[in-house]
Amino acid sequence: MTWEQLIGAGVLAAMLRLATPIALAALGGVIAERSGVVNIALEGCMLVGAFFGVVAADRTHSVVLALAVAMAAGAVLAGVHAVAAIHLRSDQIVSGMALNILALGLTSFLDYQFYGNTGTPADLAAVPDVEIAPLAAVPFIGDVIGHQNTIVWLTVVLVVLIQVFLFRTVPGLRLRAVGEHPRAAETVGIGVRRTRYWAVLASGLLAALGGAYLSLSVAHSFTDGMTGGRGFIGLAAMIFGRWTPIGALVASLVFGYGTALSFSLQGASIGDVRVPVQLLSTLPYVLTILAVAGFVGRSRPPASDGIPYETEGH
Amino acid sequence: MKRVFAFLVLAATVAAACGGTNTAGTTGSPSASAAPSASAAPTPKPMQVGLVTDVGGLNDKSFNQAANTGRLNAEKDFGLKTSVIESKKQEDYVPNLTTFAQQNYDLVIAVGFLMQNAAWKVAKQFPNVKFAIIDGAPANDAGNTENLPNVANLFFKEQEAGYLVGVIAATMAKNKVGKATHNTVCSMGGIPIPPVDRYMAGYQDAIKTISPTTTILIGYSNDFVDQQKGKEVGLNHISKNCDILFQVAGGSGLGYIAAAKEKGVYAIGVDVDQIDVAPGTVITSAIKRVDKAVYDTSKAIKDGTFKAGDNSFNATNDGVGYGKLDAVVPADAKAAADKALADIKSGTIKPKTDLTVKP
Repeated sequence: MTWEQLIGAGVLAAMLRLATPIALAALGGVIAERSGVVNIALEGCMLVGAFFGVVAADRTHSVVLALAVAMAAGAVLAGVHAVAAIHLRSDQIVSGMALNILALGLTSFLDYQFYGNTGTPADLAAVPDVEIAPLAAVPFIGDVIGHQNTIVWLTVVLVVLIQVFLFRTVPGLRLRAVGEHPRAAETVGIGVRRTRYWAVLASGLLAALGGAYLSLSVAHSFTDGMTGGRGFIGLAAMIFGRWTPIGALVASLVFGYGTALSFSLQGASIGDVRVPVQLLSTLPYVLTILAVAGFVGRSRPPASDGIPYETEGH
Repeated sequence: MKRVFAFLVLAATVAAACGGTNTAGTTGSPSASAAPSASAAPTPKPMQVGLVTDVGGLNDKSFNQAANTGRLNAEKDFGLKTSVIESKKQEDYVPNLTTFAQQNYDLVIAVGFLMQNAAWKVAKQFPNVKFAIIDGAPANDAGNTENLPNVANLFFKEQEAGYLVGVIAATMAKNKVGKATHNTVCSMGGIPIPPVDRYMAGYQDAIKTISPTTTILIGYSNDFVDQQKGKEVGLNHISKNCDILFQVAGGSGLGYIAAAKEKGVYAIGVDVDQIDVAPGTVITSAIKRVDKAVYDTSKAIKDGTFKAGDNSFNATNDGVGYGKLDAVVPADAKAAADKALADIKSGTIKPKTDLTVKP
């Protein structure tokens, strides 16, 4: 086991790439739950984002349009969840789970309808990397952040923006008030349902961007179930990050680092004993448990998280 | 209002089910068995063959896709009625196999080593239904294989296909052909299971034999679906100077190929001909004719020649081989691969089944 395998530039660059889709899902989770709606359909939003992003990239050959379509698809799925959770006041876990199943079935069905037995085309428009010229030449730092994808940087920007929005602006305060005490918020004139609708739609957009990152920046294709549970890991990152954007990003980085280590440490040995591959694949989860148990402490959700709101007199 | 939501859940379930069964066969007439008229000769009831895929979807450009191709060919050529159900997770194996068995299908094919135990469970329950397992034999709850009289075990000599592409990789690495300048080749498996390791064992055997100085790397993505994991293993290998990457990881392996494409090195596909996945990057593919296994077993059911127990698909019966070659592959590499193929058929070369280089 060498330092290169533990914290080499390659490992850190991989950590950023692996953390990005999780962080985007976690950001979506933060916004929705801060407004009081649990959205476990994030996984489904990612999946439709990944799929419809590829379809749009194939048809329009425009990355910008592809990302727009991907995010719109995520918002549509999240919109259905919003109607069920806010308007119909149904159980949010059941609705979210149903939408996840719908997304999995729908994308694999349409994938087969559109691309048959051959799969998505090889020459899809891709989201480009950002090369930061002065940084790219610097040893180590250049290797870590010199050639990252546009969406990786976009994620960092979004984390900061949403952190500022939630905790430093009036609309952000209102959104949090709706999630903590909707009755009190309504008595001062805040539209509880409207705020929650916007928050859930935004969560769908963000998760779908994470899905589009996987299909248009990483894989350059779509395969069934390619999001691999990242929506759920994003929810875990949200809790681990105490429902704050920056906390969620840190949690995603821990998870990404664990996954990156599980690859870089393959073939490493401690003393004379080779570390088994199967054991390494548990690293992200072990690191997460350690981090949650050791550093996070008590993590409290918004007081009205997951509780449907009923307007007085109905 | 609650009723609207109940409808939503129902719609979701139906759509999910459609994702699994949209490709149900249409060749056989379902009403053929119902009340044949006395005057005409009774129309024979079409044989029914059901395919249960592993996770990863029908167009994983790999294993499931090949099985489905075999199913479609068999349906066309033998007038069978066939259906396919996609497994979305490992917990789906038993219910999916049971669905076909309950409908008295003549043959139910389980695609993949990971379904060994599920197939054992269901085959025990339905002794009158014939089953086939691609890459596996029925395995009881303790994990021990146990041959059953109604189950065909369809095994491939993956090491032979791995050896053939290994010959091509070794020749190119040794002679520093094109972008293969670092004399380092590597491979990535999905999960360390026997069929995956046999591919890579044959590959390593060929490289050690033909070009002993070549460095060999090996890794696992620990996944058969996740492309990002496969890509990260690929980027890791390329950073260690690897310039020919052989993937044995289904959908996850497409990420491994994507890494090779992004960094401008070579890749080798697996199971089906993957030269079209990334033209110019994929130089050839190690082919395992899962389609042939499905096709032949369906034919055997129709002809009444179904053979329970081990059935081997190998170079001799064209069950394994190598795929189309990219223009960069030199003639001597092709000649070497063809010679190796002849030697494997004649028994002069017996590729290893155990990994020489382990992770």
